[in-house]
Amino acid sequence: MLPASVTVTLFFVIPVMMTFVFSFTTMSSDTGILGNRYIVTKATILDLTEHGIDAALVRQLGHKVFRFNDAGLAKIREIGLDSSLVKEIEEKLSGDEFASEKALFAALKQLINRPRSFKHRKAISKSVVNTITNQEFRTAAAFRAGLVANGIKVDDATFGQLLDLTNTSWRWTTDNYVELLASDFTFKILANTAFYVFFTLLFNVGFALVLALATFYMPSGQSKFFRAVWLIPRISPSVIYVMLWKWFTFDSGFMSYFLGSLGVEPENWLNEFPWTFVIIVNGFVGASMGMIIFASAVLAIPADVLRAAEVDGAYPMQQVRRIILPLMAWPILFITSYQTLSLLTSFEYILLLTDGGPGFFTTETWALNAYHTALSNYFGNLRYGFGATLAVVLVFFGVALSLLYLRLFDFKKLVAEPLIEN
Amino acid sequence: MISLSNKIFLVAPEALTALASRLGHFRTKNVAVKQLTLALLGAILFALPTAQAVQAKDMEIVVWAPADQNERYRFEAVALAANVLNEELKIENRDINVIVSSRSFTGAQTWQQLKQGFSLAVEAGQGPHIIVGGHEDIPVWGSAGLILPIEDSVDLEAWPFSDVFTSLWPIMSWNGQIWGVPQDAESRPFFGWNPHLKAIGYSDADIAALPAKIKRGQYTLQNVLEDAKKIQDKGLVEKGYGFYPRATKGGDYWQFYAVQKGGDMIDAKSGKLILDKGALLGYYQFFHDAVFKYEVTKKNHLGMEWDQWYNEVANGKAGLWHGGTWHYARYTRREGLKDFFDKVTFSLIPSGGPGGKATTLTHPLTYLISRQTKGEELEIAGRLITIVSEPRLNTLHAIASAHLGISTAQTKVSQYSDDRWTAEATELLKSAFALPNSINFGKYDTLVWKGLTAAWSGDLSPEQAVDTVVKEMKATMGDQVIIR
Repeated sequence: MLPASVTVTLFFVIPVMMTFVFSFTTMSSDTGILGNRYIVTKATILDLTEHGIDAALVRQLGHKVFRFNDAGLAKIREIGLDSSLVKEIEEKLSGDEFASEKALFAALKQLINRPRSFKHRKAISKSVVNTITNQEFRTAAAFRAGLVANGIKVDDATFGQLLDLTNTSWRWTTDNYVELLASDFTFKILANTAFYVFFTLLFNVGFALVLALATFYMPSGQSKFFRAVWLIPRISPSVIYVMLWKWFTFDSGFMSYFLGSLGVEPENWLNEFPWTFVIIVNGFVGASMGMIIFASAVLAIPADVLRAAEVDGAYPMQQVRRIILPLMAWPILFITSYQTLSLLTSFEYILLLTDGGPGFFTTETWALNAYHTALSNYFGNLRYGFGATLAVVLVFFGVALSLLYLRLFDFKKLVAEPLIEN
Repeated sequence: MISLSNKIFLVAPEALTALASRLGHFRTKNVAVKQLTLALLGAILFALPTAQAVQAKDMEIVVWAPADQNERYRFEAVALAANVLNEELKIENRDINVIVSSRSFTGAQTWQQLKQGFSLAVEAGQGPHIIVGGHEDIPVWGSAGLILPIEDSVDLEAWPFSDVFTSLWPIMSWNGQIWGVPQDAESRPFFGWNPHLKAIGYSDADIAALPAKIKRGQYTLQNVLEDAKKIQDKGLVEKGYGFYPRATKGGDYWQFYAVQKGGDMIDAKSGKLILDKGALLGYYQFFHDAVFKYEVTKKNHLGMEWDQWYNEVANGKAGLWHGGTWHYARYTRREGLKDFFDKVTFSLIPSGGPGGKATTLTHPLTYLISRQTKGEELEIAGRLITIVSEPRLNTLHAIASAHLGISTAQTKVSQYSDDRWTAEATELLKSAFALPNSINFGKYDTLVWKGLTAAWSGDLSPEQAVDTVVKEMKATMGDQVIIR
């Protein structure tokens, strides 16, 4: 009991809880995943104005001046410049102010002992700059201190507002769920997922049964050969397997070539019938796995029972219907529920095959959409928070379906002592 | 310190030989021992300069770059720059030996792996010092604090940056700061297969005048469809090959929005993205017409294999198409197109019609410094980037990969100016536009792309596709986009 609960907690409960927590954040590539980061930038200044922050304060926040005051000069002395340069700065620039770095550099250029390297000019600039803009603060206290150092006084309420508007980090939100409900495509992707899971499941469980039963009635050598052949989709690397399908379905591929001889114009059949191929490609993979389980389940049925049926004159079809299938309820339950959950969350073959296209989310399933949102954007801004929201929905459906299956197949009865062997 | 070592090095041979000789002479008369002593001292002597080099502190600078074989100089040139920098540091008596180690990203998932890898690595306190990213990465990584504004680390007023094409700097900027320096530039031209153009009635003079005509807006996307149809109707190319666009998703498609009237993407003042419904409709309509009205483009064209695509366009199987300047390398090398300039005409992407303008997309990559780079490393990374941006070093990449240079002086480097392709293609850069630097661009781009594929495949009419995109953008992006 203990190892099981530890495993469940570690690999299910905690990840699910964390996903749930992340779904209430705005976490994305541009917010980063680490803590707060307060910074006043050009964009923040525009934002502050839009949010009705006092114009005088906004001006102060956007203000930048290079001031050769005592504090600035003290910092300059610490850079490690030539003493003649430091002396000349003290003599000639003390008390001066410059509105831009360009003007400051121009003034430095006039000095006899002028700093020749960019590194030193930049160091001087950094020593005398007085501004809050583009300075990064990791804590509210540091931000407050930064404001004070720049002579910017704000009351607590305004400071709270500033903290909120200058923070480039992620924040708590329920907007992800609002966005999910607002999007027209939410329902479409949900429907896609149901369509995909249902038909692929039907295909792969059905086909796995057909394969298992067909090979059961074959001589042993042949059945082994055919089972091995049908394992190929499962054991081939997904990229190669999908590439073969692509070659098969391209307008210059085998299918077009073959149909061409029948007078059909070449087409990119994959784009023409995306769902058909998504289901077949996934179905074959699932079928090989189901075949193994079903084939061994059929073999586990005591031979006596089948022989007795044969003696009684039952045809193979009757044997299948009356004996084999009822005795295989448990493996069928296992494969059906396992495949449902795995189809619900797996997307690699769709990703490689159609990438959810063509067009508006034509073959985009929920898991693929979560992947696209959280982990793969063409131009790189990944939305971890919204992706987590999508994952939470997936977990909800996964758990609901698991419970439904357990009820439907009467789990308790299935794990009871087997009746046949004893 | 070096001067001191040099002195020891210079004085030492005579002194030590003399010492050895004395040792040999006075302490022992044994010749063998004398020789052994000499050998030993000689060994110490030769070891001296080596020992000195070992003393210099190794500083490893890690560079990540998206680069296939042709583009290897994106990181290899940084290693070359390190050789120069190491010599400079020696002269400055600095005790640093810079070692560049690099990681290149290649293959179909290049960009996704690079972008995701960089974000996650830097968040975890790892990752490279220098990364070659796309300019659109600047807002995302800048906002997350993963990169540092390069204007603080290198002198952009000085050589070689003072000579960089001024049009490239706005593309390197975001939120009031300059974050990166251009690694390369490129444009994405419109191409025509000359023999087919001649077959539908173009004279040599007409073909030669076509790029200028396109630039003036006298040859539009409408003409593209008509000519593509003529080429196809004459049986010069197969059906669906009259106009043969890029094989997969890419920023290139934004060109067909940008050439339309009102095809702006960003509001310079507010920094917000713009979606112009009229321009979007023109864009979708063009591809919809190409597929359904003129039937010069295949309905299922998108998502085809690049190998097939390159081979076809480089062998006259397509009439008109669009690509990138770097395609030249592929056409003329791997695809074996020998007489490119006789066979192919290239120009800006033609205007979408009245009010539109011919243009081309430039998507410069950029050297960025990650926040992992601290203290002395920051200075060294800045200096490496400065050296690697020198015309001669940058030209290695330009020529090897058929990308465009970044500076005026580079156009005068003989390797660059002697290359007809780069020299002529650089002209297109003057009329180029770039994708906007905005943190919301990814989401905006995804929706507009999906709209295109829907109009292209005929799932939706162009009007319906525009409406769907607009509705979805309003619902999910709110006031982040100005829809007009």
